[in-house]
Amino acid sequence: MKRMKNISGFISKAAILLFAMALFLPVSGQDSVRVSGQESEAVSGKDTLRTFGPRFGIDLARFFYILADPSEKGAEVSVDFEIYKNIYPVFELGYNSISDIQELFDYSSAGSYGRVGLDYNFLKLKDRSYHHAITLGFRYGMSVFKHNIDNVIVPGDYWGDYLPGPYENNLTGHWVELVGGMKAEVLSNFFLGWSVRYKVLLNPEMDPLMIPELIPGYGTGGEKRAFGFTYSVFYMIPLIKK
Amino acid sequence: MKSRILLFIIFILAMGCTTVEVCDENNDSELVARFKTRHEGAPADTTVSALTLYGIREGLSDSLLYDSISTSGFVVPLDPHHNFSSFVLQINGQADTLVISYDQEIYMISYTCGFANLFTIDDNIELSNGVIKSDTILNDMIDAEYEENEEHIWLYL
Repeated sequence: MKRMKNISGFISKAAILLFAMALFLPVSGQDSVRVSGQESEAVSGKDTLRTFGPRFGIDLARFFYILADPSEKGAEVSVDFEIYKNIYPVFELGYNSISDIQELFDYSSAGSYGRVGLDYNFLKLKDRSYHHAITLGFRYGMSVFKHNIDNVIVPGDYWGDYLPGPYENNLTGHWVELVGGMKAEVLSNFFLGWSVRYKVLLNPEMDPLMIPELIPGYGTGGEKRAFGFTYSVFYMIPLIKK
Repeated sequence: MKSRILLFIIFILAMGCTTVEVCDENNDSELVARFKTRHEGAPADTTVSALTLYGIREGLSDSLLYDSISTSGFVVPLDPHHNFSSFVLQINGQADTLVISYDQEIYMISYTCGFANLFTIDDNIELSNGVIKSDTILNDMIDAEYEENEEHIWLYL
């Protein structure tokens, strides 16, 4: 009998995320109308103070991912700071795990990851007191994680099924990302934003015996290229006013 | 209405991009052997008119892998429970025993299809009765992915 399985995890994640974003759309739509209205009323902004400070974010998409695939859990936070006009160094930290019981083996993978990079905001706003941003940037990502298998069955018709012992391996994954996204300041110092990421895995051969099904922060280890989404809410601490 | 259209688009996207991976019927790692004769010192292909072949399985009854088949070689799974596999070959009525020793480790074929054994066979293949005169190992790595024209050993008659 042939065994078949759909590999649609990523797609269903994307679908759920799109659906979740659709729920938010009416809200952010109204906000943008309100914001643009204010912009037209505001004077050119020369006499308006612009605030700067570290902006902390949490990725809401992670929670929707759990709906798509309850075996995968994760959380991600970020911080960025406009260090120079339109240039934002970004740090992202997260945790990601998968625990899966299959017909032929049980698999789990868990670990932490960090990303560091820069975003460049190329949205030209006349009124600089607003912090909306359309950004393009890059990241370098590194993940330290452990994956293991247990209850493995190697089916064999002639010699009988073979049951090898458990196997585990501590691994480090490296990748780079190209990141595009936008952020809208929906309330004073509160932002909603999304990003789309194209990721390139730098060391796909990290475990020649067992392809990591999950490299935390990257995605499926079997793919040398991956896409990612974040949908985050941010708060900027207004430390400096200029 | 708008949300219905959006849901429909999401549904189409999700369906359109779903890929299906089809796995082999089993995850056996199979040794491919070819029969050869020495023709003026050079190996030449040959065919045996009747090959009967089975593995010696501990605690299990003999089960024929080949039953009087006319063939130029054979494909047999290796025993992952031991570090050797023993096969009895009857070529045109004469029997010989072939013992192949190896090291093994498991590797992942894919997340969907699971694991298989990677065998690395030792240099010395034991041949007992002289029906097979000698052997040549072409490729000592045996995994579960079968490639066309793959050959691991030559057996000289």
